Amino acid sequence: MNNPLVTEICGVMFNNPLIMASGTFGYGLEYSELIDLNKIGGISVKGISLNEVKGNPMPRIMETHAGMLNAIGLQNVGVEKFIREKLPHIKKYNTRIIANFWGKTIEEYVKVAEILDKEDVDMLEMNISCPNIKEGGIAFGTDPKMTFEVVSEVRKTVINKPLIVKLSPNVSNIGIFGRSVEDAGADAVSAINTLIGMSININTRKPFLSNVTGGLSGPAIKPVAVKMVYDLYRTISIPIIGIGGIMNYKDVLEFYLAGAKAIQIGTANFVDPEIAPAIVNDLENYCNENKITNISQLSGGLLI
Amino acid sequence: MKGLVVDNRLLNDKYGLMCIESPAFVENAKPGQFLMLKTQLHDYLYDPLLRRPLGICDVNLKRGTFSLLYMIVGKGTKLLSNIGKDTIISFSDPLGTPFDLTMDKKVAVIGGGVGIAPMIFLTKTLYENNSVDVFYGGAEEKDILLTHIFERYSSNMKISTNDGSVGKKGFITDLVDNIDSYDKIYACGPKPMLKAAFELVKDRNNVDFEVSLEERMACGVGACLGCIIYINDEKTGQDKQVRCCLEGPVFDGKQIIWDTVCKEQL
Repeated sequence: MNNPLVTEICGVMFNNPLIMASGTFGYGLEYSELIDLNKIGGISVKGISLNEVKGNPMPRIMETHAGMLNAIGLQNVGVEKFIREKLPHIKKYNTRIIANFWGKTIEEYVKVAEILDKEDVDMLEMNISCPNIKEGGIAFGTDPKMTFEVVSEVRKTVINKPLIVKLSPNVSNIGIFGRSVEDAGADAVSAINTLIGMSININTRKPFLSNVTGGLSGPAIKPVAVKMVYDLYRTISIPIIGIGGIMNYKDVLEFYLAGAKAIQIGTANFVDPEIAPAIVNDLENYCNENKITNISQLSGGLLI
Repeated sequence: MKGLVVDNRLLNDKYGLMCIESPAFVENAKPGQFLMLKTQLHDYLYDPLLRRPLGICDVNLKRGTFSLLYMIVGKGTKLLSNIGKDTIISFSDPLGTPFDLTMDKKVAVIGGGVGIAPMIFLTKTLYENNSVDVFYGGAEEKDILLTHIFERYSSNMKISTNDGSVGKKGFITDLVDNIDSYDKIYACGPKPMLKAAFELVKDRNNVDFEVSLEERMACGVGACLGCIIYINDEKTGQDKQVRCCLEGPVFDGKQIIWDTVCKEQL
């Protein structure tokens, strides 16, 4: 029987549509002894910047109702070390590698993108939506003009790989940003990044996170994410990769019906490192039982 | 992996002790390691969301069981305290870097509060090949638990509480005298206690110092970067970021940059 989960995004073939979300799966290697990495569709690696970044002071995480806040601050080894020390190891697995990257300035975005475009990765994912750093990140992702500008500049340099842009939910109308990104030449969008939130220790009267605010993720944000994927689906024609609180195969199906063509698993990887292969199995069973020859048939299948 | 709860009881209204059967887990567990345990037993329920990191308190190789000592602080540990006997629960493999065990030495084990959890497993193991003194501190009487085990597996045991309800009144680190007579100090407990222990040994080149740290963790496997500790790298002389879950939770206490260790708790 054919694998009903085979997925094509911008010409790249995935064994299944489950991509591990950036920041929740390290460089893949952290999970290599826990699960069979060949079983997952792809890995979006921890956000890469031009130089090594130390991230925010501790405390960086706090659990909230059915979710968690994080303000890691994009700690990463930098692009050179990623290419030298991490990439050769993850390339051993039969899974697609998505290089997630970011910059503090347009110039930095362009420089990192230029380097990664020549490397042996399958796709690039541009993060314009991290809520936890002072410069760059979300500053580009919450102003449609700046979004257009930075994506256009990066697009000029990225000539070999499909370019995904990861969108922020911290805007009044995500459709406008989807359109900016599409107009700037992106090949796909991923949505959503975390929602800005905050949690206060009533005993000390201080915020639980050193960064004061953090990004909310987990099942708590799923309805918001599904709605934003739906908004994007009605606005743009490039593929949408759905992200936000997916914990099981039913959640995946919801994102598909709203318009997603693939999905990312984020916080769920923390909750249970073995969750992704389990969801792959469940999805495959669902498709077979319901005589769905390919899961892509469900994309945008919402009935209203 | 999964295991069977063979016992789960409250020691008082602040602490519980759970015993789980899992020969596969016990086989690989080493003193100082921890596990990530799911406190939510039902599928499709996601609150609390994250697994809880808990130090391995004791193992019984013959029976294939291990125990966890937990303090009831939030909804996760509250749920944990309600789990009944014969329940199947799921948890990770033993995680993290264990203690470096000495042989034929004189060592001191300092534990405070729920930080004594990993020290039981450690003390029992050390006692086979070393002379072990135990220093056990708590805020109040409720914090002083399982002392019969420490008594059996140590040459001397001293106890203190902040309110003087059991043992000497004051901080446990004040009871550690003749520090130079020890080859190594092992410590686990609240950050201020660990820092005080560090003050005792920082100028003693002949006394080794190992600590087990606790941080909030999301994944427990080195991916989320939520549990960063700053250490001074001996080789390069530079500050270095390490993960409490993977490079730790046990560290060379003399390398830790104590001022950076979670200020809110210091």
